[in-house]
Amino acid sequence: MFTKNNFFLLALLLSFSFYSCKSNTGQSTADNKIDTVLTGTVTAELTVAPEVPKPLTYTSPKRVKVELTCVEKVMELSDSTQYTFWTFGGHVPGQFIRVRQGDLVDFTLKNAPDSKNSHSIDLHAVIGPGGGAEATNTAPGQATHFEFRALHPGLYVYHCATAPVPLHIANGMYGLILVEPQGGMPKVDREYYLMQGEFYTKNKFEAKGLQEFDEEKAMAENPDYVLFNGRVRSATGAKALPAKVGETVRLYVGNGGPNLISSFHPIGQIFTKVYMEGGSEINTDVQTTLVPAGGAAIAEMKMHVPEVINLVDHSIFRAFNKGAIAQIKVTGEENPAIFRKVKQ
Amino acid sequence: MVFFTVPVTYSQTTGTVRKMQKVPAGIYYPFFSGNNEKVNSFLMDETAVTNAEYLEFVKANPAWRKSQVKRIYADANYLRYWESDLEIGKNNRALLNSPVVYVSWFAAKAYCAWKNKKLPSVAQWEYAASAKPVNLKTGLTEYILAWNAQPNPKMLPNVKSTYKNIYSIYDMHGLIWEWTSDFNSYTGSVDSKGNGQEEFNNFCGAGGANVKNKKDYASFLRYSYRGSLKGNYCIANLGFRCIKNL
Ligand SMILES: [Cu+2]
Repeated sequence: MFTKNNFFLLALLLSFSFYSCKSNTGQSTADNKIDTVLTGTVTAELTVAPEVPKPLTYTSPKRVKVELTCVEKVMELSDSTQYTFWTFGGHVPGQFIRVRQGDLVDFTLKNAPDSKNSHSIDLHAVIGPGGGAEATNTAPGQATHFEFRALHPGLYVYHCATAPVPLHIANGMYGLILVEPQGGMPKVDREYYLMQGEFYTKNKFEAKGLQEFDEEKAMAENPDYVLFNGRVRSATGAKALPAKVGETVRLYVGNGGPNLISSFHPIGQIFTKVYMEGGSEINTDVQTTLVPAGGAAIAEMKMHVPEVINLVDHSIFRAFNKGAIAQIKVTGEENPAIFRKVKQ
Repeated sequence: MVFFTVPVTYSQTTGTVRKMQKVPAGIYYPFFSGNNEKVNSFLMDETAVTNAEYLEFVKANPAWRKSQVKRIYADANYLRYWESDLEIGKNNRALLNSPVVYVSWFAAKAYCAWKNKKLPSVAQWEYAASAKPVNLKTGLTEYILAWNAQPNPKMLPNVKSTYKNIYSIYDMHGLIWEWTSDFNSYTGSVDSKGNGQEEFNNFCGAGGANVKNKKDYASFLRYSYRGSLKGNYCIANLGFRCIKNL
């Protein structure tokens, strides 16, 4: 896609619009000078939600190899409910990809041999035709390949873009890719990966057995399930995300949709920082942040007291009746100066 | 894609005779907008080509045996579930009357030529496949989508195990995907078509402003699938049947 010479040119062009300012300027950080000279090859660590790959330790651009495999498989939607998910990597959401601004991503999309359908990928971090979709319509048992330069830092959704796109997304084909800014992300104590998505089934919420996709409900935008990480109770109870008093927790939150916007809220907490829509602009002291369908947000919290934080879509019927709850279980010392229950 | 002829000399024996059914003349309405095409009456194999039939073909045509076939005509997965050149294998005996799969477009085309037949065009295949079922309880689209949502079975069922349409043709949906002679001409890549319109139809706006029926998810899946193919691909659920023009 890019030749070495093109990149000298690109670096040159970008350097003309160099600004040293940080934020609140309406200036994209991609307009800053981006170092594009590759200094080696690495293979991206890919993780399954709620895990996030380790922060990157390299400080100059690399060729980063990323390989995802499209897998169609029956998994649990809830305890006694199954669904034929279409996935990136055999999980919903797909594996988390972490690269650095300036990296050249060497991307291979495989489609498992026993897939029934063709699949592709549109990564919102890509500048190029269809975000990679045109280069990656991949038949079962085959692989496709393309390269892109990670120009803009931020948290981006990726999803399947094979027609009918709504069906592929509704079946679970989405995930997140983080492009760390050149200076890296500030260090925090814990990072987690949560992605919201809806499911539309012929039967009602938690009906037993293998469920079929319902096209009419999907078009009416009336889901039976609104879930974090592709399953009812994926991160609650024994599977709640652990944290300790005194720690700062960063959530990489995506929304695969296909239809709904999430009003993402931590019950019993306040976001200290939100990288709004996953971009470079930071808001502070936020109760509820919007996560658009096909969009993301990075949200941080400081753990002050032991508690179970319910992370919900505050369109609250979704949390109560359709499954949109995840939990952080905070353990540690009580801090009565911040919260205490007063006995009558 | 460049369609070129495959250099094979065919044996004179053409094996078992597969019954063909007549598809009456009619109109094919392309899924992506375009001119409606008149389809002349033609004969179509009543089922997909089976493993038993394909075995006769490779016996008569050594160039199409697993060990002989050239990679440009069939990738490394060609007949991967066959034990050897001329044996499907003990475990797979049940597949004799099931569709042959893991066969390339070139192989399918060569087989049909050996039978003095052809692969159907997309127009012919789609036209025949749109015919009303005579023995299905659900609607056809619903039936196809349910098939799409099931992972491939461990053992591919026999031909005639799904449904029959009004032309007495079996399994047009619900058993396997099938090769067509011009499989990539309706969703052709930017490379082969020289413009991106079809790609736009396929990928943008969640599947195109120009399609005939945006709710026809089953057709979307089929056209996307065809668009992902190359002539030498050999895939688990991809087989074929032949036609004869009248
Ligand atoms: Cu897909």
